[in-house]
Amino acid sequence: MTVGFLPGRGPLHRAHPFTPLTLAAAVLILAFAVPAPAGPLLLCCAVLGLALVEGLPQVLKPAVLTALPFWVFLLVIHWLIGRDLRAAVGLGARVTAIILTFLIVLAAVHPGRLVDALVERGVPFAAAYVFAATLQVVPRLRRRAREILEAQRCRGLRVRGSLWGRARAVAPLAVPLVLSALAEVDDRALALEARGAGVVARRTPLDPPTDTTMQRLLRWAMFLVAIGVAVVRLW
Amino acid sequence: MSPRLLALIPLAVGINLALGQFAAATSLPLFLDTVGTVLVACLAGLAPALATGVVSQVVFTTVTGNATWFAFLPVQLAIGAYAALLARFGWFRSTFRSALGGFGLGFVAATLSWPISYLAFGGVTAGGVTVVTTLLTGAGMTLKWAVYGASLSNDLLDKTVTFLLIRAILIALPRRTAARFPAADRALGRA
Repeated sequence: MTVGFLPGRGPLHRAHPFTPLTLAAAVLILAFAVPAPAGPLLLCCAVLGLALVEGLPQVLKPAVLTALPFWVFLLVIHWLIGRDLRAAVGLGARVTAIILTFLIVLAAVHPGRLVDALVERGVPFAAAYVFAATLQVVPRLRRRAREILEAQRCRGLRVRGSLWGRARAVAPLAVPLVLSALAEVDDRALALEARGAGVVARRTPLDPPTDTTMQRLLRWAMFLVAIGVAVVRLW
Repeated sequence: MSPRLLALIPLAVGINLALGQFAAATSLPLFLDTVGTVLVACLAGLAPALATGVVSQVVFTTVTGNATWFAFLPVQLAIGAYAALLARFGWFRSTFRSALGGFGLGFVAATLSWPISYLAFGGVTAGGVTVVTTLLTGAGMTLKWAVYGASLSNDLLDKTVTFLLIRAILIALPRRTAARFPAADRALGRA
């Protein structure tokens, strides 16, 4: 399931992009640091509350669909076979909290604002470009992969049948996709060259996201709490 | 970073994500999610391959919303480094060597991915590997060895096919494209 930015006016939407990203990192650390199963379950509830406060109930469906296979296999392996329900619930809640948090952050942070924030902090243009360009390339190549699959089937390529026959079908599908992608490299490189992509200089974003002292303090607090809990648990 | 590499890396990551559709269409137990990384290792060397690995995992996470992908970043980096090393020494010069190199990569990938899968996610990751893990656990194998066995069975096949595909792609490269990436000839043992 494809997810991404969703317009909204919640606190995370209005915040500097680094604040939701720090939140995601803190939840990631806490999900592993807090004692299971109660800790990850509480974390799940907190993140669920955050989704509702942020006005993003739309992320719940993809979160459930992504986490569901984990729950099924965790219950089969750890509960039905291993007879350890606590382990299954603890691991499932951990994975769910991480998935839900990342979906909220992806829905709240616009990629363009994130790139502006990174460029403003001195991250090289190349890094910001690669991330933004990849997000545009992926759907296009996926569409082209579907077209190649249909075209090769029209030409009589069999993608069903014996294992050997199916394995032989991989090359006539994959090679044209890769070669067509490589054929684009020159055009893209020329366009980037014309826009001065090779120049090593700090760029100024036109409309960088505003940051506040309160948000900086909040980011430090989230980071220190997560690290503190992890250190206490390891101790 | 040169504009050519800036243009190549997003396309390689796109290849990593798009080829999974072919694996699904043919119902083969393959991921094909490192073809782009290995390709960049052959065309441009170690550093761009590592960059492709990092961007791949970030974008996998971003596009699917499945943050567990990101935990497997060390595996992508190891694959990039291993492929760059083998390309440097011309291991794609024959089908046998390519298959052998891919087999070795499968061993490396499985050995690196199973502790992440076992320790962080209790042996469960989304995908067909978990079905094999479940079957092996149900057959009485301990979870630790079941996860390793499942990772090994999938990765050995997937990475061998990946290396054979890369050899086919390097051979089929148009001269104009090959001229832009001289390392491709070295990977094929021609330089």
